[in-house]
Amino acid sequence: MANLLSLVQNETLKVWKKKRFAVIVLVLLVLIPIFVYAQLKISQNNAAKFADWRSVVQQRITDNMNAIASDRIPEEWKKWRRSLVQQLQYYLDRDVNPDTPNAVTFTATFLENSVTMFIPLMVLAIASDLVSSERASGTIKMLLTRPVRRWKILTSKLIALTLYVSLIIPTAALLSYLIAGLAFGYEGWGAPVFVGFRVNGTAIETSSVHAITQGAYLLMEMGLVWFSAMTVAAISFMVSVLLQSAAASLVTMMAAVISGAILANMASSWSSAKYLFNVNLNLTSYLQGTPPPIEGMSLGFSLVVLAVWGAVSLTTAFAVFTKRDVLN
Amino acid sequence: MAEDSKTESEFDPLPRPPGRASSKLWPILGFTMLGCAILMLAGFVWSLKDAWFPSHGMAVPEPSASARPPQGDWAAKQELKAIALGDSLTRGMGDRTGDGYVRDSIVKLNESLGKKVRLLGNLAINGLTATRLNQQLEQPSYASSVMQADLILFTIGGNDLFRIAQSGGSIAQGGDVSPERLKAKLPEAKPRLEATFSKLRRINPYARIVYVGLFNPFYDVPEARGISETIAEWNAYAQKLAALDGNATVIPTYDLFESNAARYLSSDHFHPNEMGYGRIAERIDQALN
Repeated sequence: MANLLSLVQNETLKVWKKKRFAVIVLVLLVLIPIFVYAQLKISQNNAAKFADWRSVVQQRITDNMNAIASDRIPEEWKKWRRSLVQQLQYYLDRDVNPDTPNAVTFTATFLENSVTMFIPLMVLAIASDLVSSERASGTIKMLLTRPVRRWKILTSKLIALTLYVSLIIPTAALLSYLIAGLAFGYEGWGAPVFVGFRVNGTAIETSSVHAITQGAYLLMEMGLVWFSAMTVAAISFMVSVLLQSAAASLVTMMAAVISGAILANMASSWSSAKYLFNVNLNLTSYLQGTPPPIEGMSLGFSLVVLAVWGAVSLTTAFAVFTKRDVLN
Repeated sequence: MAEDSKTESEFDPLPRPPGRASSKLWPILGFTMLGCAILMLAGFVWSLKDAWFPSHGMAVPEPSASARPPQGDWAAKQELKAIALGDSLTRGMGDRTGDGYVRDSIVKLNESLGKKVRLLGNLAINGLTATRLNQQLEQPSYASSVMQADLILFTIGGNDLFRIAQSGGSIAQGGDVSPERLKAKLPEAKPRLEATFSKLRRINPYARIVYVGLFNPFYDVPEARGISETIAEWNAYAQKLAALDGNATVIPTYDLFESNAARYLSSDHFHPNEMGYGRIAERIDQALN
């Protein structure tokens, strides 16, 4: 056990020394102010046009209803808009502002928007060359000649990866909160959010809707983002074992993640696409209550799909890594 | 030297990067990461619990007392608030600039009244019928938007009479609308308009209500010219409702589209174009000054 711990320590510090985490923090520090500025412009614009948030929400409802009334809008977009209208109406009827601009809501929105692309990309920055870089630089031989079982080496890498994924998401949330707070103020943890909207055909079921605090919502959201990030990490881990070159594994994983985002937008009629992992990454949408990209997807379904993909990937990674000959 | 021998004596499977920093870094980094991992796992489990076994959740604040409607005296006010409701005419369909008569008339009123006129929102929906508008006015949130206005601009009834609700104005063929069928629709549509007027007045006792009258877009089609008779009857009825109300105005538009249909109608031959909306806006401006 002590043996494994020092292996994990070693792997964690190796990644740290490669300054991967520093790069992630740097990227966040550059991007978040840009998003904060954009959000600030939107809220200033709204404040100038509308005296009251209710008018803003009512206008959003009207705009969406106009889109629903139009013949040119595809049916699946209408479905999405219908559920949005019903949700906004639910907020309006209870006199709760669904998008108060503050640091907490900003952070929640930031996480929602980054769960399919941005967070996976940051995970890839660490995961994609975890094994393949050792192979490329030849240090894999130094590793394997030590009197340690191979599975232990791979396990230590996996644990280090898990730790980093667990670190990335709170770091992103914290930075987003701190930077957004400068513009919008740091309050808002106790404001109510409605969760539990169930999409049922064209209607939204509100029987199990209940209010939770923004703080609780943010924590749940981070947990869901973490789960999908872990799946990406596991698959990327396998790719990193299978492919010799770090660049090749990075490109493979990026292609997979990006194609998922594209597929989610267009695959509604190809229903077996719902078994692909990259279409299921958007777990936070279930919390928000937006309709899933493909009929028949639900929180449980997506979790199972992601878990199966993760488990198969890890099994493959271990099977290959412990058996394979390491040449030159 | 002493430190080196210490690390050598421990079992160390890999050449650890040398340096003091890493020995301090590991406990901090390790515990932070472990803490984060536990936090993430807790959030994940909680989200599952909340999704599948929801608790009652926190109490939601009761709806606050609705904003008081503004008082009627325009002269005493620094700023007037306007709201637009209704169908595609209010939405501005056919106007390539997207302004419609609503934004045009707000701009004109800003100048002519000498005070700021602010548009609270354009809540018009393409294809809306009077029945649907009356349903919407029952919603507290919709009503609260109407309640704050000093000026209510609206159009309704076109879809009730012409029955083109879903096609968004694609009936370029005037033959589709027979004057007789239109006339037959009139008796059932009238009470809906009356309901709209009375609902608006009940929600907002002080606002000036401006109803933009209907017109016959098919005046240049000989077979459909008979529609004008029904339109005139409808507008007269609206006029009657406005007179009963006392603080409402009906803006006549039918004359604009009789001889100048080609100039003022958009390509769908049903909705006005930007020039047509501009003329309607002028009339609203004239009526309110």
